[in-house]
Amino acid sequence: MAQSSNAGTPAHSERVALITGASRGLGYTVAEFLARQRWTLILTARHEVPLLEAVKRLQATGASISAVPGDVAHDQHRRDLVAAVRRVGRLDILFNNASELGASPFPALVDFPLDVLRRVFEVNVIAPLALIHTCLPVLKKSRGLVVNITSDASRGGYPGWGGYGSSKAALDLLSKTLANELREAGVGVVAVDPGDLRTQMHQDAFPGQDISDRPLPEVTLPFWAWLEGQDPLRITGQRFEAQGTVWEVPA
Amino acid sequence: MKRQELVFEQPRELFASTPVETEHGARDAVRLLVTTPSGHRHATFADLPRFLSAGDLLVANESATLAASLEARGSSGSYTLDLSTRYADGLWLAEPRWDPAHPGPMPIEAGEEARVGDATVRYVAPYPGIPRLWFITADRPLEPILQRAGVPIHYGYVQKVWPLDAYQSLFSRVPGSAEMPSAARPITPKIREALEVAGVRFTSVLLHSGVSSLEIETDQVEEQAVYPEPFEVSSATADLVNRTRDSGHRVIAIGTTVVRALESAWTPDGVRPRRGFTRLFVHPGNPVRSIDGLLTGFHDPVTSHLAMLAALIGLPRVMEAYRAAIASGYRWHEFGDSHLILRK
Repeated sequence: MAQSSNAGTPAHSERVALITGASRGLGYTVAEFLARQRWTLILTARHEVPLLEAVKRLQATGASISAVPGDVAHDQHRRDLVAAVRRVGRLDILFNNASELGASPFPALVDFPLDVLRRVFEVNVIAPLALIHTCLPVLKKSRGLVVNITSDASRGGYPGWGGYGSSKAALDLLSKTLANELREAGVGVVAVDPGDLRTQMHQDAFPGQDISDRPLPEVTLPFWAWLEGQDPLRITGQRFEAQGTVWEVPA
Repeated sequence: MKRQELVFEQPRELFASTPVETEHGARDAVRLLVTTPSGHRHATFADLPRFLSAGDLLVANESATLAASLEARGSSGSYTLDLSTRYADGLWLAEPRWDPAHPGPMPIEAGEEARVGDATVRYVAPYPGIPRLWFITADRPLEPILQRAGVPIHYGYVQKVWPLDAYQSLFSRVPGSAEMPSAARPITPKIREALEVAGVRFTSVLLHSGVSSLEIETDQVEEQAVYPEPFEVSSATADLVNRTRDSGHRVIAIGTTVVRALESAWTPDGVRPRRGFTRLFVHPGNPVRSIDGLLTGFHDPVTSHLAMLAALIGLPRVMEAYRAAIASGYRWHEFGDSHLILRK
């Protein structure tokens, strides 16, 4: 089995991740998994109080964690995030996890309010790309990995999911294209579909329905553990399913 | 499939506790039960060439066994820490046990630390759905500690710690398995030569086996959480498998690990080269398409391996074979007897 080279890997305490949408759900679960491994984390979420509460819990692990509350769709907030990354001086993984569902319950595309659709694309497509723009120098220096969180809705064509789904389809193509454009610079880009999870976001997508049969976000931990061990340039351009059967490293 | 269907009465005196070569001189001095569509035949392992034909392809696992069992010292004293799978530098899936004979779950909490050799390991998170397994992180590489202080993983039915060599096969080449892919254990150079003379060919895949076959705990077998293992099927092996089947000959996996690897590389166009981690759970709802036979050992009740055999030839025939094996005293586990299962 080919394993990634150990050469140049920093001591564990020096690894750094920026996670958007980190106050709850999948973002929080990934943050906790990395914090327990003593990654240095820069976390953001729109609502200040839940974010600060989350950070307080995570700091109990002994990891170094900074909270930068705000909306990833805003320029100034993204500048604040990058300033926090620059203070640490490295970025191994940028998790573009924060996502906007749009209206709940979902309107059909023919009835979709265009201002809501604009907001969906701002958060799910423009903001991840803008964060990659601003983080690029430090990602290059760290030979880092960008993880864009996608969804099976990007391929589904499910009625009602057209707004969110088309934004994730755009994010998928953006991930694939960036992978080709950034390979030379030593930066990897992957899209990850976490699968259905028992989160507030999933509940918002199915208002009033019982979603207790969906697994908790912890079900994705083995995938993140595997991803940590991969050389970003060996997997760049791939789209993974965190709950899928095989996580493949291309030949 | 219901969990209850995989239950059978297994006499403990049939657990093999010592390598056969320590008593009988050679590894091939084990018995061989041969299950075919026409019934079950009793033979010895040296008879294997009689049951295979020119053109058949045997697929081995070239993963070598690690000395993956370590002693850990934590707040509750000394205990056993069996490493299962390496995920990243310093990040492993592991099974803490009271001792080789006594499994957990141990009262471990996330964030807890232990000393292992000169390393400090920290418990990060339990494996989702399998709480006896934990992701652990270490402050330095564990591989040198395994080499210095590790012993092969062993359980209560093996009273003595045998040298690591007892846990390698003729095909072991790439270290990485926590437990021995033991189906190839009885294949001696002499048997391999006899098979080659008979026109049987060999190839290999890689799958690093984790800690022992899981006992299924969910009522519905298919719902059991299974953990992934690293695997690789090369293009040379994929070609050989496809050509063997196209020409009407049989592909026979040596061990359940090989079945998992080949099935993970299966596409409607046959097997293709593939590597990564596989979580594939082969059970009757997930039919076996890449192989025509399996050389394996005897598996415990209510395990994922037993579900795999049921996927291969149907549960009634598996249970019939196991009744025959128990009635004539075949022996279980890594040092035990062999079972050749042919679908045609």
